[in-house]
Amino acid sequence: MVRPAEFKITRTTTEAGVTFSVTGELDLGTVPVLAESVRRLGGHVKALTLDLSELSFMDSTGLRLLIELDQQARREAWKLTLIRPRHGAAAAVLQATGADSALPFEAAPDR
Amino acid sequence: MTSTLAEFIRDRAYSAVVSMDAEGIVTAWNPSAEAVFGHKRDDVVGRPVAEVIVPERWRAAHEEGLSRFLSSGAGRVLDRRLEMTALRADGVEFPVELTISAFHDGSDWSFHAFIRDITADAEAEHERERLVDELHRALRGSERRFEAIVGALTDAVTIRDREHRFLYANPAAVAYLGFASWEELRDTPPAAIMADYAVQGEDGREIRMEDIPSVRILRGEEAEPLLIRTVNHASGQRRWQLLKAAPLLGERGEVEATIMIIEDVTEQKRVELQSRFLAEASAVLASSLDYEQTLRNVAELAVPEVADWCAVDLIDEDGDRLPVAVAHVDPTMIGLAEELRGYRPDRLDPDRGLGLVFRTGESLLYPEIPHELLLESAIDARHLELLQAVGLRSGVVVPIRLGERILGALTLVSSGSGRVLDEFDRQLAEQVASRAAVAIENSRLYSQRSTIARTLQQSLLPEQLPDIPGYDLASVYLPAMAGSMVGGDFYDVWPVGDSWIAIIGDVTGKGVDAAALTAVVRHTMRTASEFLTSPAELLARADATLKQRPSLSVCTALCMRLDGDRATIAVGGHPLPLYLAGGRVAAVGEHGPLLGAFADVAWRDVAVELEAGSTLVAYTDGITDAVNRAGARFGLERLTDALKDVSDRPAAEVIETIAGALGAFQTGAHADDTAAIALHRCPASNTTMVLERE
Repeated sequence: MVRPAEFKITRTTTEAGVTFSVTGELDLGTVPVLAESVRRLGGHVKALTLDLSELSFMDSTGLRLLIELDQQARREAWKLTLIRPRHGAAAAVLQATGADSALPFEAAPDR
Repeated sequence: MTSTLAEFIRDRAYSAVVSMDAEGIVTAWNPSAEAVFGHKRDDVVGRPVAEVIVPERWRAAHEEGLSRFLSSGAGRVLDRRLEMTALRADGVEFPVELTISAFHDGSDWSFHAFIRDITADAEAEHERERLVDELHRALRGSERRFEAIVGALTDAVTIRDREHRFLYANPAAVAYLGFASWEELRDTPPAAIMADYAVQGEDGREIRMEDIPSVRILRGEEAEPLLIRTVNHASGQRRWQLLKAAPLLGERGEVEATIMIIEDVTEQKRVELQSRFLAEASAVLASSLDYEQTLRNVAELAVPEVADWCAVDLIDEDGDRLPVAVAHVDPTMIGLAEELRGYRPDRLDPDRGLGLVFRTGESLLYPEIPHELLLESAIDARHLELLQAVGLRSGVVVPIRLGERILGALTLVSSGSGRVLDEFDRQLAEQVASRAAVAIENSRLYSQRSTIARTLQQSLLPEQLPDIPGYDLASVYLPAMAGSMVGGDFYDVWPVGDSWIAIIGDVTGKGVDAAALTAVVRHTMRTASEFLTSPAELLARADATLKQRPSLSVCTALCMRLDGDRATIAVGGHPLPLYLAGGRVAAVGEHGPLLGAFADVAWRDVAVELEAGSTLVAYTDGITDAVNRAGARFGLERLTDALKDVSDRPAAEVIETIAGALGAFQTGAHADDTAAIALHRCPASNTTMVLERE
């Protein structure tokens, strides 16, 4: 499948926890990549931040992954933080599905 | 003069013949000797040979040699080819080639010399030596340094004179051109060397002597490096060579010789060829699920780059051979090749060729196909005739296998090109075969799965949309290609009292789970619609049902209730429906949360008045998320643009427009399920007619 924007996950680890900065398109083709990255963290992480601010697109499978992670975080008592996409296409999906208010989103910090 | 036979021959000999007695006095002098030395016979007979033709500085040696022979019988110079310097009548010295024989007539010795003037040869030789010397100097440094550099090169380096004869060849060149020694190479005419090979350019055209860069330079042309492909007639060995030549200029700037470097680029070219071929073959194999067609395409790709002909045979369920493709470098041979393949033995010989490959799953390489093999394999005279006409030289048969299962075999044969297929070709064929195996398997699985998918899909989607008074309906469903599982998109339309409910949704997830979820959502909403009128409440009910399931079960859904010319719409995480009227396209309704996902959520109904002739289009994100080859998404804007032109057209036309625009945009298959449904409010007159009819 052709990917216009490079899908990339950048990992940053601080004392506060792990941050995955996700750029490109989160869809059928790339969701398994992000899911695998999170799975590999195992149970060691107390706080995970998914920075989606540079995400250009997200489809329903991407949304489903966020919902799954939210449920998993509640179940396993760790903290999930999501950073809102700046781009319209990805942000619109979150708004249209109510995920924007139901999931633990924070606004992208000003650049 | 006496005329014995010996004298007769002597006087007509091409060589100069000079005889002398034991005293060293000239006794015979033939006409050729007159021409060579410039002395008349009568002027020299009776005079000492030494005085006449031996340069002064050699005379003592000459006389000493003569007396030593006469006293001891030891002659160092007798009966062998000698090169010496001789003296002409005009005092000029010149090189000669001669043999001297001694003869004893019972009382005295006499000596007979056969002499040839080799001035021309010596000049040519000298010129060559001078050239080589100059070359060595020109190549900056002593001869030793030149040898050290060029002699050690693994690239073949040759230097040729204006007649294209070799002046120099480094050891790599001698070996590369297939010669045992430099002398052997030097004495072989260039045309004879070239005749041992079939030589083609990169584009397949024949390369002649006059195309060779060094020859072009001798003609005074510029010569770009030339890439050639050679096949040795005798060994069938294939080589790619890059020929680079440069002129070696004399003092006056004229081309005296050319230096040519033959760089063997066989490995690079073959690797390049292999990766290009594999890339093309992979693309072809992935392009279609019609594997018989793709195998034919692969067979054609292999010709002529890899072999002269290529055939693909598969094994069917009964273990029988199923020829599916044959390609030949020469199109006129296709008929022959096809006829040949028509000879299908009742049973393949399990110990030979295709039968052996089918049985063992091991590939076979025949660098040379011996005549006996043809004789053994031929079923009858015509078969043998065909086998011979094809001119099989070399062949590779590799299995198309998937794990332990052998699906078929790929056969590559060289004939007219005279090439010998080697280990490299076998590996290439194996790699193509392994890709072909995956393509065949995918295709088989796909046809099985798509049968299941179609069956399930039919049971999940309404067999046919109902007739709604005052409306005309149309829908489209394009199942996802990836995995070709049962898709997660669904839609349904059913009546409740005087109203109609239309739903469309997308269960995230694929496969049988998604299918089950789809059924749950539809069933829940159908049942709930018996006692709930609000689409928002129907969504809430479906949401509650999904949340009761043990694993995360989420779903987008759009629910519309039609009451005459009014539509009530509730949306749960789904794209808003589009309202088409009077050339305008607008999204209607209000976004609400995804079903099955979040706690404490609610949905809202939005009412829309539907003008006569207007259309409501509900769709799933498979349409807007569709990706084209460049990676762009179809998007809402393209959808809206496409629909503007059909804002007042019947539902079927609207759906066709969507499918058409999407088809033109997308090149491959759909990555995701795609569904759309259009509800067209019939123009006023039609509505009236419908009402009157009721």
